[in-house]
Amino acid sequence: MSDAHGVADEVVIEARGVVKTYDTGLVQVKALRGVNLRVRKGEMVAIMGPSGCGKTTLLNSLSGLDDFDAGTVTISGHDIARMPDDRKTEFRAKDMGFVFQTYNLLPVLTAVENVELPLIVSGTRPKAAREMALTSLDRVRLRDWANQRPSQLSGGQRQRVTIARALVNRPAIIWADEPTGALDSATATEIMDLIVELNEQEHQTCVIVTHDPKVAARCHRTIQMADGLIVREDSQAEMAAVAAGH
Amino acid sequence: MNELFGVSMNLIAAVCVAATALILAAVAFIAWRNPVMFKMGLRNIPRRKAQTALIIVGLMLSTLIMSAAFGTGDTLTTSVTAEVYSILGEADEWVSWDAEKEPRPLEEQVIPLETVEQWQAKFAGDPDIEAIVPFQRESLPVLNTRTKLNEPSARIVGFRAKDAASLGGLKDSAGRPVTLAGNEIAINEDLAGEIDGKPGDVLLVYYKAEPIEFVVKAVVPSGVLSGAIDPSAASGAAVDFETIANLTGRGQNADAVIVSNTGGVKTGLARSDIAVEKLEAELEGTPYTVSALKKELVNFAELIGSAFTTIFVVFGLFSIAAGVLLIFLIFVMLAAERKPEMGMARAVGAKRRQLVESFLAEGMGYDLGSAVVGLIAGMGVTYAMVEVIKIFAGDNLGLDLTVTFTGRSLVVAFCLGVIATFLMVFASSWRASRLNITAAIRDLPESHPVNPEASTWKGYYRAALNGIVALALPIGLSLLLVGPVGMVLGLPLALAGLVSPWVFALRGSNTAAPADHRTSEGPPKWPWILGAAIPVVGWVLILAPYWIAVGLVVFFRDRRLATLPPWLGVLSLLVWPVALVTVLLQAWRVRISWAAGVATAFGVAGIALTYGGMDRDSAFFFLLGVSAVALWIAVTLQYFGLSDRFSFSAVSALVLVLWYLPSKWVEPVTGPLNGDIEMFFLSGMVMVTCGTFIIVYNADIILPAIARLGSRFGRIVPALKTGVAYPLTSRFRTGMTIAMIGLIMFSLVMMAAINTNVAAIYLNDDTRGGYDNVIGVNRNNPIEDIRAAISAGGADASAISAVGELRTAAAQEAQVENRDEFKNAENDEGDKIVTEWSRYPVFGADAGFMASNKLTLKFRAEGYASDRDVWAAMGGDASFALIPSSVTVAQQGFGGGPATGDLLRLNPVEDGFAPFTLTLRDPGTGKESTVTVIGQMSDAADTFFQITSPDFSIGILTGKQTVLETFPQSQGQRYYLTLKAGVDSKEYAKSVEAALVQASADSIHQLLDDQQKIQNGFMLVFQGFMGLGLIVGIAALAVIASRAVVERRQQIGMLRAIGYQRGMVALSFLFESGFIALSGIFLGVALGLSLAWVLYVSDDFGDTNGMPFAVPWLNLGIICGIAFVVSMFMTFLPARAASRVPVAEALRYE
Repeated sequence: MSDAHGVADEVVIEARGVVKTYDTGLVQVKALRGVNLRVRKGEMVAIMGPSGCGKTTLLNSLSGLDDFDAGTVTISGHDIARMPDDRKTEFRAKDMGFVFQTYNLLPVLTAVENVELPLIVSGTRPKAAREMALTSLDRVRLRDWANQRPSQLSGGQRQRVTIARALVNRPAIIWADEPTGALDSATATEIMDLIVELNEQEHQTCVIVTHDPKVAARCHRTIQMADGLIVREDSQAEMAAVAAGH
Repeated sequence: MNELFGVSMNLIAAVCVAATALILAAVAFIAWRNPVMFKMGLRNIPRRKAQTALIIVGLMLSTLIMSAAFGTGDTLTTSVTAEVYSILGEADEWVSWDAEKEPRPLEEQVIPLETVEQWQAKFAGDPDIEAIVPFQRESLPVLNTRTKLNEPSARIVGFRAKDAASLGGLKDSAGRPVTLAGNEIAINEDLAGEIDGKPGDVLLVYYKAEPIEFVVKAVVPSGVLSGAIDPSAASGAAVDFETIANLTGRGQNADAVIVSNTGGVKTGLARSDIAVEKLEAELEGTPYTVSALKKELVNFAELIGSAFTTIFVVFGLFSIAAGVLLIFLIFVMLAAERKPEMGMARAVGAKRRQLVESFLAEGMGYDLGSAVVGLIAGMGVTYAMVEVIKIFAGDNLGLDLTVTFTGRSLVVAFCLGVIATFLMVFASSWRASRLNITAAIRDLPESHPVNPEASTWKGYYRAALNGIVALALPIGLSLLLVGPVGMVLGLPLALAGLVSPWVFALRGSNTAAPADHRTSEGPPKWPWILGAAIPVVGWVLILAPYWIAVGLVVFFRDRRLATLPPWLGVLSLLVWPVALVTVLLQAWRVRISWAAGVATAFGVAGIALTYGGMDRDSAFFFLLGVSAVALWIAVTLQYFGLSDRFSFSAVSALVLVLWYLPSKWVEPVTGPLNGDIEMFFLSGMVMVTCGTFIIVYNADIILPAIARLGSRFGRIVPALKTGVAYPLTSRFRTGMTIAMIGLIMFSLVMMAAINTNVAAIYLNDDTRGGYDNVIGVNRNNPIEDIRAAISAGGADASAISAVGELRTAAAQEAQVENRDEFKNAENDEGDKIVTEWSRYPVFGADAGFMASNKLTLKFRAEGYASDRDVWAAMGGDASFALIPSSVTVAQQGFGGGPATGDLLRLNPVEDGFAPFTLTLRDPGTGKESTVTVIGQMSDAADTFFQITSPDFSIGILTGKQTVLETFPQSQGQRYYLTLKAGVDSKEYAKSVEAALVQASADSIHQLLDDQQKIQNGFMLVFQGFMGLGLIVGIAALAVIASRAVVERRQQIGMLRAIGYQRGMVALSFLFESGFIALSGIFLGVALGLSLAWVLYVSDDFGDTNGMPFAVPWLNLGIICGIAFVVSMFMTFLPARAASRVPVAEALRYE
């Protein structure tokens, strides 16, 4: 079963009572205070909130990039807290894609080489990896720039390369942390168009951390956080109104 | 050790201490004036403890090398000096017959005791001369009848008891006085060791083959009074004067007289000059001469110490150069790390000067720490080196090495380390302070405003003019090499060069600003303070030029021209000192392409050096000049838009080709060029620099090849790729590290290859000359028939298949006509250093030697088709002669050419040379004979004579009869034996020694092995010492890897996020370091080995006896293996740190 957006009933991400505390030595900062969250397959969820409310910590904890202190996180039925580091890494390589505000492309590799990296480390044969990487670049309309290095690309192009990299292994989930944070508004819109378009085509689950209500308005659902807790959920229509008000 | 490179160590120490004090005072001044910035710098030191430790290890190298080099010199000087003091005791001067002045047969060269007593009476009560002691001496074989052990050449001396008393008297090992009479003998500790002698033993002493019985009364310490006059042959014994006088038949005469100065063993030395002066006055008109024996030997000890220190410092230059590069690299990277902090500091109002001061504070913390650590480590290295020398050289060294460090050497090493580090820290701090504030705060790459004159001739002309003016001092000094024309242009330029750096320093300051930009702030005051603080030198070289510079800047600041008239441009290019005016007239703050400017200055200096090198036959200046010109060309090509890859690769390749060209190809153009050990250093620096350029600009061509590996090593290919690609994006630091490792590897490989090939040439089977044993016969007990003597002694003479006999006249017994074909060379003082006759050994071989030896010849005279023909002619005519290999040509590093200090000064000969005559002369009798030279022996033959003679000598080889007739007084005798197959030469030597009391026997195989062992020992010490530089390269790798972990934290986080396992991240860092390490190792091995080969096959290397070039694979394998494994080990820690970076933290890291 799926709704009008193509979102299925199946829950792929489920967090229960997730707690994360940072110990700086002098003080302890409770970044997550028992977060509960369910994200369905194909759903685009935005996480919003003021600086320091725990958005990125939640994304990192859900995606297995960071450990948490208490609670459980299940991704497609797998309890990631119980996974050893190697397994978690492999899981990320095969089933997840990441997009960050700072593009984190390897400057010494070309666009296509950056894109094929997750495939190669997960064991895909180089020839097949190259083909898939070029296809992925094609989808973000950057095939002609495949052999350029990141320093030869614009900010928007770089972010499109990271999206191509995130999509290349056809992951079930895409995690995006401020994907438009470093871009001007026109490029940001272009990037969000691309993410939405790809979501509609591929039905991948997207979790996007953002400050920008316009970005949130493009998602199916927006979660508002404050002080390490989810305080509210807004629908797409509600966020569209907020974005229009802006 | 009192001198280094001919400069007094006291002067070096004074300058070093003054410079260090100045540095410390400057730093203290900074701390007092600006404590906040000072503390800011210092507080960085404990921030990253591991990094601080790494930096200190990297920075300590200069001090370590210096202190180890000085420590080795001090140890040798002190050990040799201690040996001299121990043996000579109270004896300071030596009076003997002057055979040069008054030729006389040896037995007549005596001093009557009556004459000596007159001197004793005259100098009694003299404040400088304490004792005058006559004695007789003779070298004789001694046999202990109890142990049957013998010493073929013990020096037996006889002193009168009253004379001996004035030298402290003969005392036994417990300090009890020993008096001798009749057949009583006191043996010294060395002789006692040889024959296992003890009091009560009956000894047979052989004189003219007759045994005389003596009873050992005591064992006494080795010293002058017990016959240990020569440190290299200390076995001896004392008998009563009357006893030896009766034995030798010389009666109441002395062979020589020992003079003891007032004062103790060491303090008496201070009176040596005045004592010699008084004695010379007394000996005026007599046939006697005085020599300052102890002073000469102590000076010799100093010379040995200085020589070794010089060698170690020269060989350590590679490590020091690598260490200096590392210091610069470390501080450049530290600056990169602190860029945002420094940008923020500038944003809130800190001046550039204050950033430099803050960096200097931090740098001085590391500097002082590393100098102390380096000093201690250097002392440890000295201990290790001395132990290795002891293990390998063992008894062959004849010296008790005791590690010693003088306070002066330690102070100099410490100060040199502090100064070198300070200068590099200052340079890198200055570079770091020139940052763009916005770019620094955001940690973005530095961007430079566009230069409208970039890549234009106008811009190039401006750059060249500014470059020449800024570096006018070194260019001016280079021009001084080019004769009178250079002097006319060079001297004013050098003087302008004292002023011009200050002009540039003032250029960006308020002083140089036009009126509408100027404030009331005056010119910087620190140069005034600095100049005034250094007496004389500072006043002349800093204060005055700065004062002139300020005046010039003030005078020209409002007189600048909008455009320079062409005539001024032309004039300034023709007469460079005028360029200073042109520079002062140029627009304020105009952009200058300094890379092109400095390269042009290098180029101009390079042209002067090239010409000067050709003019002065100096390979060093010539190749240094050509290399500088090449750099100019590369930068010029780059300036005008050619790619860096093409510009630097092409020019580097051309320079490498030049270095590889055999000198015979270059000399038709340049004329003969001479070089020495300095060429080793220059070749390393230039060739490794060129090789590094070629690697860093072209290594990316291997990336596609790595990509192709993909199908085999799928998952690690990205790690491999980034391992090569990352280093190539930071060419500066990668190039520096490759150069550091390459330099050290080059030096190690060159040394190993040359050593292996020299050993192969000099210590091969040819060096045995076809013989297995050598027998040295006591001069007073010659053997006429060696086979019969061996049989008579109870050994098996039938084991001998061939015998050759050599009669030898030592250098003090023989003279050879000095032909002076280098035409009356003069020393530095202008004295002629060539006399009519040179003291030179002459060897006379019998027919058996001529027939049985298998020694090879380097050149044969015309008419002789083979070596055998020459030997046959020698056997048939005793007046034919051969000259040693090294008498005509000395190995002079890269340039070749004849040695200037050669004794006989014979010009080199060639195959088919016309035979020429040499006159031989007995200095005692003046008797002369003429021999005809028909060949020159090979290097292997020289080595044969050296290792089989007691004093490591070579000589003119002629017929036995010629030596017996010309030098009847000389009685040196050696036999060479070829043994039948299956006879063990070492065992046979033992049996011969047991059979012949008057002879020592050695296996030539054993002598060669010992020689090889000593050579290997010294080689190991040198390699170990030079290998210290590898620490630099390895530390650089670790520093770079640590820095990369910090710089790439976000990228590491992303790699981990997209599926890189921890191991893969670590692997990519290891690949990166591995690529750099392997590049450096490959570069060093390829250049070192290829240059060694080119040298080996060139004419400059000398006679290789047709031996193929040998590659020391095992040695190279060990060197490369150690370098690589240690590099990887040092990178392991940062690599592990990278793999453990927490992913989420890394991704948000800023």
